[in-house]
Amino acid sequence: MTGQTQERIFATPLARRLAAEKGVDLATLKGSGPRGRIVKADITSGAATPAHRPSSQSTPPQKPASAPASGGIDAKQLADALGMSYTEIPNDNVRRTIARRLLESKQTVPHFYLTVECRIDTLLATRKDINDKANGAYKLSVNDFVIKACANALHAYPKANVAWTDSAILQFAHADISVAVATPNGLITPIVKKAETKGLRQISEEVKDLAGRAREGKLKPEEFQGGTFSVSNLGMYGVPEFGAIINPPQSCILAVGAGEEKPYVDGGEIKIGTFMKCTLSVDHRAVDGAVGAAYLQILRQYIENPISMLL
Amino acid sequence: MSEEKFDLVVIGGGPGGYVAAIRAAQLGMKTALVESAHLGGICLNWGCIPTKALLRCSEINHLLNHAGQYGFKINDFSFDFKKVIERSRGVAKQLSGGVQHLLKKNKIAVFDGFGKIAGSKSVAVEKDGKAVASLRAEHIIIATGARARSLPGLEPDGKLVWTYKEAMVPDAMPKSLLVVGSGAIGIEFASFYRNMGADVTVVEIMDRVLPVEDEEISAFARKQFEKQGMKIRTGAKVVKLDKGTNDVTAHIESGGKTETVKIDRVIMAVGIVGNSENLGLEKTKVKIDRGHIVTDEWSRTDEPGIYAIGDVTGAPWLAHKASHEGVICVERIAGQKDVHPLDKSNIPGCTYCMPQVASVGLTEKAAKERGYELKVGRFPFMGNGKAIAMGEPEGMVKTIFDAKTGALLGAHMIGAEVTEMIQGFGIAKTLETTEVELMHTVFAHPSLSEMMHESVLDAYGRAIHF
Repeated sequence: MTGQTQERIFATPLARRLAAEKGVDLATLKGSGPRGRIVKADITSGAATPAHRPSSQSTPPQKPASAPASGGIDAKQLADALGMSYTEIPNDNVRRTIARRLLESKQTVPHFYLTVECRIDTLLATRKDINDKANGAYKLSVNDFVIKACANALHAYPKANVAWTDSAILQFAHADISVAVATPNGLITPIVKKAETKGLRQISEEVKDLAGRAREGKLKPEEFQGGTFSVSNLGMYGVPEFGAIINPPQSCILAVGAGEEKPYVDGGEIKIGTFMKCTLSVDHRAVDGAVGAAYLQILRQYIENPISMLL
Repeated sequence: MSEEKFDLVVIGGGPGGYVAAIRAAQLGMKTALVESAHLGGICLNWGCIPTKALLRCSEINHLLNHAGQYGFKINDFSFDFKKVIERSRGVAKQLSGGVQHLLKKNKIAVFDGFGKIAGSKSVAVEKDGKAVASLRAEHIIIATGARARSLPGLEPDGKLVWTYKEAMVPDAMPKSLLVVGSGAIGIEFASFYRNMGADVTVVEIMDRVLPVEDEEISAFARKQFEKQGMKIRTGAKVVKLDKGTNDVTAHIESGGKTETVKIDRVIMAVGIVGNSENLGLEKTKVKIDRGHIVTDEWSRTDEPGIYAIGDVTGAPWLAHKASHEGVICVERIAGQKDVHPLDKSNIPGCTYCMPQVASVGLTEKAAKERGYELKVGRFPFMGNGKAIAMGEPEGMVKTIFDAKTGALLGAHMIGAEVTEMIQGFGIAKTLETTEVELMHTVFAHPSLSEMMHESVLDAYGRAIHF
């Protein structure tokens, strides 16, 4: 997160102090004071819960930003004016946090996007082979391979495992991979920590466990706060490719599409292969185009030759 | 007899009622105000304002008596008591006229008479027993105020035993006076008459004067009053008043002993009761508890469409509380956004005796009883340049913070001009500042207000000038 262009949060000094003590993110609260000012009662009433947001050392302690505006036009006013019928689904804290953080990311982080196409026939064959031999003890997903590949690539090429701060770029020692999980309450990103040190089976089991608990709302803050790189996979929905919004203060997020069979040319011959498109969204402040491209090249090698992840 | 329809009818033209009416008019409501005596109510006609005019005179008298300290030589001076009283009445009259003008300016229909609830959404106005108007309104605010409480056997007679009202307009200065009750009203009269030269005895049933104030402030005040020659009996009560032709013998009981004092006049100031009778409330769902109308945080009674504000709803009996409640009540009725119930812990209270007393929020004792861990700061007038220059070295500023959060829980002051200074802490408290913002605030030098800063610093062991 940048700490640069911040919208001011109106809160009383006492409310700010109490929020800091209780670890409550003011941005997730709706103030009940004059003009929506956050007052003591908003913190002590019990409505306030500790913030669901990743934190890292680069994050400034106070992170003022208001709830996102809807782009100048108030949807409700317009809908009312036009007599449109709708149901109001009140925003909870998770929804507000998602809205605020992603708005801030898209507005303050200079995104660019790089797409590669990986042939995953080997990966699929390897996966099938491993799963067949597991006798149901475990079942690796394509995404488990992608997480492992991302982690290994970051380990091999740490220039992409970074976060921007005003004074320095932080290059992280470990690849802590945030995995986007859809829950009934909204998006949450539990973390597979030090994923480069873990085997596929362990990664697979951790992701299952984290995702399961994320859906039940039972994650501990340290299980979704932090992370150095994110993976978002919509392949299972048949989405061929997409661009994701960076999860600050991280610098990169990989958007993984569906595997699709198509013809390709190999040594003058037309063959059929399964291809998966991966789009990397990159914070240009910390990662240049060439760096992002180099990282993708390494990532692709791991995905296309999963056996090399054993090295 | 007129019969008119309004959006809002306010019964009572005191600081609660007339302010509510003006705010309603500002918000576009067609508004009527019913007042049976004086616009401005007790506050303006028989309370806050005329007593301030009197106390100004006693302050001048005090200064003249001490003019020598300032290098003045005044050989002889005297005051005309009649003119002192006249001036006070003139001030009240001027301001009451001002209220009338404001109501007219805001196009509020003013009905001279006694307003009564007459069935749902209807107010009957009577004057001298005759019906003069019938008003219909969706919303009715009762702002009828309160009157002096009287004790059995000690009922005021208006001649020898006064309420605040007679005490404000006596024909002549009493030579000696007994004040029963040492709340704000009792103490202000005691202070006025003492500083005008009367022999004053104060009887208080509680163990200290100004019992709602912080204990330390009470003790400080008592010392100052006694230094001025006031006689104070606490933990005492008047059991009997033997009335003579132009004097009274009072029997005062304390600690099992009875003493008698002979005085010219007695002022009864033992609290007030709400004017909740004869309002036609019997046929409504409005609840009355010990003379006060029961309301919720939006001043709503149990009867839809009927609201009550100010003294008639109970403590604190303060004009500014009534006004504020009136505004909140009306804004809520009008569906304004951002309306918030009144936080009573942010209402300042001032007593204009000499030395003045002012406070906001919790006393030290009340804060402790609520389980707060405290940081308490004090700063004496003796340590303040402006106070010394003014020749007002007696007083103190006390601040009370929640040690855990730095929240300002209470501020208590005694000394010259503190009734003007308390607003600083009122704003601080309302904005929920902590000690940090108060410490970072730059206070002008030289000023009495610097003591507010120093008191905050002292709470954290950082006072500079003491």
